[in-house]
Amino acid sequence: MAENRGKNTSPERHDLSGTGRETGKGVGRVLVAVYAVFALSASARAGVQLLTKYHEAPLAYVLSAFAGVVYILATVGLAGRRAAYRALAWAAVLVELTGVLVVGTLSVAAPADFPESTVWSGYGAGYGWVPLVLPIFGLLWLRHTGSAAPTNSTRD
Amino acid sequence: MITTLAFVLVALTVALAVFGLVTTALGHPAGRAHTLVVGGIETLLVVQAVLAVLRVMGGVRPPETETFLIYLAVSVCVLPIGLQFARADETRWGGTVVAVTAIATGVAVLRLLALWGGASG
Repeated sequence: MAENRGKNTSPERHDLSGTGRETGKGVGRVLVAVYAVFALSASARAGVQLLTKYHEAPLAYVLSAFAGVVYILATVGLAGRRAAYRALAWAAVLVELTGVLVVGTLSVAAPADFPESTVWSGYGAGYGWVPLVLPIFGLLWLRHTGSAAPTNSTRD
Repeated sequence: MITTLAFVLVALTVALAVFGLVTTALGHPAGRAHTLVVGGIETLLVVQAVLAVLRVMGGVRPPETETFLIYLAVSVCVLPIGLQFARADETRWGGTVVAVTAIATGVAVLRLLALWGGASG
């Protein structure tokens, strides 16, 4: 299991120094992976539902599709390197947090309107609460990598 | 689809997730060991997918066949992509990336099992 690369380079170098402030590096890469998994599962599931049984619960399926698109945009934004990607990530993660809070609240307050669950129903309880925790980590990570940027960024 | 193989695969993905997390805890980046383990599990996943597709083509119809086939594709595709992504990073977090994709793959296999259980095949 011993890796030559692991011996030669400090694994923490990219985590703590000011040189690699990309959101898709180091522990950020884990975040991107989780986002990618949710992007894939949410949009694939919504795609099947919209194509095969749209009329059974249109609101839930459209919401699932919307969530899938938001996850895709967040994944792309976090994985990208330029400032525009960072802006995209901020926007997508903020929409995601709003979505999970609004849909979560509505699904608890008016369950009759949500016969079919979405990713965000019950604040993501059906997905191990990951949909609720993920945007919080996303925002913290964006803030962390943004504020620690060594360049004379005007952002933030 | 072979139920035993599916359960073995779920156990293997859990083991892979633990392995990935351990390498992160030890500070090792994703490397050859990860590639070998992922390669072994991936081989079994491909065998499972081929068997399942053959049976579906042979007339077995799990409920929500489209969903079943998508989960089948996901079960095969996620690990190699995740491994690539993990090895492209030289920090210790590559192992955790592998762990995330292993868990996703395990969930996909569990969903396959649940759907196949209703196939009366």
